[in-house]
Amino acid sequence: MASLPARPPVGLPPLPPGWTEHKAPSGHTYYYNKETKKSTYTRPVPNVRSFHDSAAAPPPPPPAPPGANANFDLFSPFSTQNSFVPNVQQHNFQLGAPIQQQFQHGAPPQQQFQRGGHHARGSFRGNHNFPSRKREPEDRPKHRHDIPGCAPWVLVKTKLGRRFVWNKETNESFWKFPPDVMKGVVEFDRVERDKRERRERGELSEDEDNLVAEIEAELAVAEEETEAQIVEVEGEEGMGDEEEYEEIEVTDDEGEGVEHPSKRQRTEEPLEEQGDQPMEMGEDDMAWQLAAMEEQYAEEDEEEGMPLTEEDCKALFKELLDDTRTNPYSPWDKVLEEGMLFDDERYKALPTMKARKDCFDEWSRDKVVFLKEQKTKQQKLDPRIPYLAFLHRYATPKLYWPEFRRKFKKEPEMKDMKLPEKDKEKLYRDHIKRLGMKQPELKSDLSALLKSQPLTSLNRSTTLDTLPTSILADVRYISLPASIRDVLIETYISTLSPAPGGIAASAEEEAEAAKRRAEKERREKALAERERRVREDKRRQERELAFGKGRLRDEEMEIERAMKFGKGGLRGQLGSVDREDETPQESEGE
Amino acid sequence: MPPIRTAARSKKPPPDGFEDIEDTLLEFANKMKDAENAPHDGKKKYEMLWPIFQITHQRSRYIYDLYYEKEAISKQLYDWLLKNGYADAMLIAKWKKQGYEKLCCTRCIQTKETNFRSTCICRVPKAQLSEGQDVQCVNCGCRGCSSGD
Ligand SMILES: [Zn+2]
Ligand SMILES: [Zn+2]
Repeated sequence: MASLPARPPVGLPPLPPGWTEHKAPSGHTYYYNKETKKSTYTRPVPNVRSFHDSAAAPPPPPPAPPGANANFDLFSPFSTQNSFVPNVQQHNFQLGAPIQQQFQHGAPPQQQFQRGGHHARGSFRGNHNFPSRKREPEDRPKHRHDIPGCAPWVLVKTKLGRRFVWNKETNESFWKFPPDVMKGVVEFDRVERDKRERRERGELSEDEDNLVAEIEAELAVAEEETEAQIVEVEGEEGMGDEEEYEEIEVTDDEGEGVEHPSKRQRTEEPLEEQGDQPMEMGEDDMAWQLAAMEEQYAEEDEEEGMPLTEEDCKALFKELLDDTRTNPYSPWDKVLEEGMLFDDERYKALPTMKARKDCFDEWSRDKVVFLKEQKTKQQKLDPRIPYLAFLHRYATPKLYWPEFRRKFKKEPEMKDMKLPEKDKEKLYRDHIKRLGMKQPELKSDLSALLKSQPLTSLNRSTTLDTLPTSILADVRYISLPASIRDVLIETYISTLSPAPGGIAASAEEEAEAAKRRAEKERREKALAERERRVREDKRRQERELAFGKGRLRDEEMEIERAMKFGKGGLRGQLGSVDREDETPQESEGE
Repeated sequence: MPPIRTAARSKKPPPDGFEDIEDTLLEFANKMKDAENAPHDGKKKYEMLWPIFQITHQRSRYIYDLYYEKEAISKQLYDWLLKNGYADAMLIAKWKKQGYEKLCCTRCIQTKETNFRSTCICRVPKAQLSEGQDVQCVNCGCRGCSSGD
């Protein structure tokens, strides 16, 4: 981040990667390459050789996001962005097509974007007098979103609807999401979709609901096979748009591109990339854009800074405890030791360890009360529920029913008259028989039980503590050890759609729930804002420091050069430097 | 002091709510076992006892908090836990007294055993110690348990 490249002056080709423009005190413009440590007064022009030779130089800016992005749209069905994103530029590089030409237009990727996004069908074919690129709309980062659980990675959406990920700390950016970031983006998309769904709540038709479920399922598979799918899907995607691809290739090849890459090569391309690092954007390419975007954000900040009250912070922390399924019966030290909390932004919502502990105490007190209420409620609903829970704990194949009954005869569950003795015995025998079955079988039984539940009673807002009676009173529910069972159920729940509005809850409850959700969203947004501000302040400081260092180096260089002119020249130049305290030692001796 | 279940008691399951805290108690029991079986590589004899005192303290505090602070367990379960040695009833009794809320162990307030007929150094409030003075008692390894700290 040392040298933020200035935006290239209009009319001049951008500098090749690694080069930055500077003004000498004498007023001369010179250019410095931080990789080679060379400086020159002649504006460097990129060429093929330097591109191929300098291994250290960042890879060429990718023209359009390759497969990852294009396919990503399949996971976010409501996305309006253009789902076909041609891969043209990369191919041209590989084929040794007119690199020089591309490069001159190339450095900031946004200048290449528009070719993917704005393609006039047919109009460019074979036409060399196509309009000047400078007048075409430029693509540039427009929105930035935090990726859940992936800080410091952020998802950047460009004006033309493309997306790439950017690491705010290392300043890397990739069109193709690295696998771990990909997961975060999938989650991000899910959350976004949730929000949209909530907004449209009630307007979703059943078909669309089903679609959501299908997509959820696909999504799970896709997470594991992202790479493989990219290849497959890209082929399919390409088919409809084949013509457009070709047109663009012609455009880019500018006369030379007679043997434009075939579709086969295009679809294979991601394969070649497999195992490699994802395509990286040149650091300099994006830097100024991101810097510009940050400034814009900073301005917005001043306007809208969202307040976070102490209550908000506590609520955030409590939601974190809920979400991590923290055991309210655990001692605080153990909760900390487990380390589930640190990774989440919400952990930092509270400033001190004492505040966190107090908040945890408060939360666990309430949670215990809630759990107890829930238990009593369930007991009233169906006497089988406490009885089965009791069996889950104490039943063992080593004991026959009469022995078990004798051993536990004083327990309230065993004495409960609402459940006839005959039923108790039958449930016990069923359960013991099932304990002898193989686990995959038990799992599929549980899964069948879950699937038989209507969405009104089992949906995405269901938790393990609020499972419907129909599950809790079923012997299949207690066949697996709690640790395995609970994970299975949670996973299943996470794939479900939200509760259909108005059916499960009264209008009042529904409104209450909606309010709670809105509050939660607001808090999380405010926290993200706050965290971002903190991080940005830090980075701004770092950048200023780095910038200062860079300037010092530039000045050293200038002095070196001035030495060639003799001491008079040096003094003349030093006289015009107003930051004398930063001038290096050699000059002080004079 | 690990819980010892007599044959008579083991027949009867613990009161309701035990299942909620069973896992945590089991962890304490395991830690205790580890502490008891830890190799004494170069450690002084009294140092070997420190972890055992500390775990006893932690576990007692855990149960105390569950019952008095969070009201998360029933009276029956609390009594049962004390009776079965999951918590040190003597220590908990002290915590209820003003000035002893953080007491590390009952030995540290017994004046008979000490050289100067006073309580342990760890009972001395930090404010009364000279600046930067680092204390650690011999009894249980406590570094200070005055209520004011
Ligand atoms: Zn002490
Ligand atoms: Zn002590």
